[in-house]
Amino acid sequence: MSSNLKKGLLLLLAACLLVGSSRVQLSLNADRDKLGLTRLQPLENAPPVLAFTTVALGGFRGLISNALWIRANDLQEEDKFFEMVQLADWITKLEPHFVQVWLVQAWNMAYNISVKFKDYPDRWRWVERGIMLLRDDGLRWNPNEMLIYRELGWFFQHKMGQNLDDGNMYYKQQWANEMAVVFDKKNPNLDDLIHPTTADQTNRSKILREKYKMKPEVMKEVDQKYGPLEWRLPEAHAIYWAWLGLEQAQKNPAKIKQDDLITLHRVVYQSMQMAFQRGKLVSNPFAKRFEFGPNLAIIPKVSSAYEDASEEDANNREHILRAHRNFLRDAVYFLYNHNRAADAKFWWNYMAKKYPEKNVLDGIPTSLPATLTVEQYAVARVQEDVSETMSRDRVKSVIEGLIVNAYGSEAIGEDERAAGYKLLARQVLATYESKTKSRGEAIAMSTFEEMDREVFTRLMDTEQGVPIEMRAVLRTIHGLPAEAPTAAPSTNAPPAAAGTNAPAAAAAK
Amino acid sequence: MQRVLAIALLTWKAALRFRLFLVISSLLLATVVLLPMLIKDDGTARGFTQILLTYTLGIIATLLGLSTLWLACGTLARDIEECQIQMIATKPVARWQIWVGKWVGLMTLNAALLVISGSSVYLLLQWRATRLPAAEQAILRNEVLVSRGSARERSFDKEINEQTEKLLIERVQKYPADRVDMVEVRKQIREQVKAELQVVPPGAFRPWEINLGAAAAHLKDQPLYVRVKFNSAQKSVSGTFDALWQFGLPQKTQMYRAGPMSLAPDTFHEFQIPPNLIDENGVLTFAFINSNDATLLFPLEDGMEILYREGGFLMNYVRGLGIIFCWMALLCAIGLASASLLSFPVAAFFSLSLLAISLSTGTISNAVTQGTIADYDSEKGTSGSSPADVIVIPMFKATLKLVNMVKEFSPVEALSTGRSITWGDLGRAFAQIVLGMGGTFALGGILILNRRELATAQGNQ
Repeated sequence: MSSNLKKGLLLLLAACLLVGSSRVQLSLNADRDKLGLTRLQPLENAPPVLAFTTVALGGFRGLISNALWIRANDLQEEDKFFEMVQLADWITKLEPHFVQVWLVQAWNMAYNISVKFKDYPDRWRWVERGIMLLRDDGLRWNPNEMLIYRELGWFFQHKMGQNLDDGNMYYKQQWANEMAVVFDKKNPNLDDLIHPTTADQTNRSKILREKYKMKPEVMKEVDQKYGPLEWRLPEAHAIYWAWLGLEQAQKNPAKIKQDDLITLHRVVYQSMQMAFQRGKLVSNPFAKRFEFGPNLAIIPKVSSAYEDASEEDANNREHILRAHRNFLRDAVYFLYNHNRAADAKFWWNYMAKKYPEKNVLDGIPTSLPATLTVEQYAVARVQEDVSETMSRDRVKSVIEGLIVNAYGSEAIGEDERAAGYKLLARQVLATYESKTKSRGEAIAMSTFEEMDREVFTRLMDTEQGVPIEMRAVLRTIHGLPAEAPTAAPSTNAPPAAAGTNAPAAAAAK
Repeated sequence: MQRVLAIALLTWKAALRFRLFLVISSLLLATVVLLPMLIKDDGTARGFTQILLTYTLGIIATLLGLSTLWLACGTLARDIEECQIQMIATKPVARWQIWVGKWVGLMTLNAALLVISGSSVYLLLQWRATRLPAAEQAILRNEVLVSRGSARERSFDKEINEQTEKLLIERVQKYPADRVDMVEVRKQIREQVKAELQVVPPGAFRPWEINLGAAAAHLKDQPLYVRVKFNSAQKSVSGTFDALWQFGLPQKTQMYRAGPMSLAPDTFHEFQIPPNLIDENGVLTFAFINSNDATLLFPLEDGMEILYREGGFLMNYVRGLGIIFCWMALLCAIGLASASLLSFPVAAFFSLSLLAISLSTGTISNAVTQGTIADYDSEKGTSGSSPADVIVIPMFKATLKLVNMVKEFSPVEALSTGRSITWGDLGRAFAQIVLGMGGTFALGGILILNRRELATAQGNQ
């Protein structure tokens, strides 16, 4: 037998043995599943690097992971963060099914590392990195892990949504900018993203699914159950990920821990509460930024979310009901502010029926719903801010502030809110007058109309007032003629810099 | 010299014959090309450059270091084992010339490989930098691809010590006691005195005067960078504290206000300040205003540092590679010295063990700090004792001193953070690593080789 033939036969034999062993392996895997010996599901469709590290390294991967973790800790202590993304990637690849590894690494980036930077864009990068680690990789390899959904929801609700981080407004703005690419309208039509018909819709749907790993079908379900939600704000995303976690919990009831389930519910109703308080984005073209407003449309659903949670979480029922009552107090106040007296009255009655024995004003036990009207309650809420002393100056500044807010809302098309502010300002003035009548002229205040006129004049001042675009809108609304153009400067010298951080001497040059 | 060069040439020929040069240079180049495609950075050009420099230079140093050790052990030990050295030793070439010739051969090989891989990294960095937006390029050129010197506040040790002694005497006179741990009392008082210089209470401010010395003359119209770190015993809700700064002296320099900044404690922050804030004596005067409700502490050691541009990246980079080259010289000397006495496998094992020990001095350092190799209770701050401490701890101290002579130079870190590696640093590295430690190994190796009987039956030959 020639050498080449021998080699060929040996190669053939090797191939046959390989095929044979793979058949045996399949049978072994089936037996392992049947006998319940597979503690960790093998990764499917894993990239070569991940497949290599998890299979080829075997038990050693734990050691390598530990070594990398120690290095990551050391570097973090030395404030060297530029390697952290790479190290987190390696560590999670070595332990792809170890949920705590994903959670700790993501938390470290979003919470611990982000605040180490003084500039908000740098912080935002790390918050996003933490979110991406869980959303893009963690859930990819652990799609049934409720804890990862909970953590992701928490990042949106707490890190981005709340105001504990000084950079929270920047995060919200950046997230809104990113989401504006996907949802180009105020109220996105999710059907367009589910069944896109145009190239633009297809592109946006693709970005949503591939980049943000979100399914418009699920979003529609969430929106129907809890919305209408503002998908450019983090609260809507917190609810989305918590909802997905709850869905997974339903699919895998054997894996559920009651505590995890409660935390997921908590993410939902707390985010709903935040969405109610400021879940509406109002574009302010004059300041070129977004402003937040309350989302009054979801009040019934927020209330239901609290009630559902109180039913499910017996241990914390008292706390949840207290939070529910606080929410109802805010709901009445906000509705009244927005000139929706009938709705305010409805929720006032609802609160009176549900919590008849609980005081509605802090520190006043006699302020039961039955003893107050909605109007008295709303004014009292303002007075809580103004304080009990009824100082003339403070009350005047509150009234003027309310009138300024009214014109600001009017200029951006929020007519309901504008009317609500004016109504409240009138109520504050009326209360003030009734309480200070005995002191007569000593601390008397102008009439509402005078104050209104004064504030309006101030706002329309060409030098000290609001920006020219806003003045133009207000002039149109109030039927005033256009402003006379100001004289052009006689030279082309740049205007004097105001409020810059330049050194004094440099500015003087 | 001619003989030394002839041996070096032979070493080169062997390296080329075994395709070693080709393999190592291919590996190094592959590292430089492939690594940027594999590594994940923090998303900034600065972060990418830092991680690229750290990883590429780290891998270059590791690959070259291991190959140097291996080659150094192999080239001499195998020559002796396979009796090829007898062909050379019988010629009019001194043993030390053989030893030095091999060292020179390996080091020129290393130099060539370092130049190839180092230039590739440099060109790659420059190429990537040119593809970045102008703003990112500016950050890179000012903060990473640059050589920055630093200045700190003057030392207050003298004042602290004087005040400590004064207070100690007062206290002992006021509260006389028979049995007092004077060392501990002095330490406590010293910390109290030091705290007065470090602590900034709420609503207070803390001025600094930092002399930039001769560098100030070259810093006209150049921005400076403040590197600051503070601690706080209290936590803020946001995890950060507000920082307000005022730079300059009225009527003497320009003035600049920075802040409010939102800064986290226990971490280094760096921010730029405009040029021309230094007075005519080269002193930068500035103050931190604490507008928080918490007391902040700026450590005297590393709480405040002013960074300034000292030179370009290229020469800094070259000096950094120079220090890596010094490391290779030492490893080559270790390999050759062990191969002078031991067979190839044992020499390789011995050299690698030395390398491993030098890289893992954490445990040794802990033992030295605690003064014992026995168990240490970190919560109580107490430790046991071992009879072996008398011998082991001094040995550990000596080992640490030797290892730190090499480890105190960290060119990769300096390059990735844009810190200056001065000619003085390079000179010191050469003196400590090459002449001091390498020279010791070389002398030992040459001595052993001189006394070794090369013609006896070696190993399995």
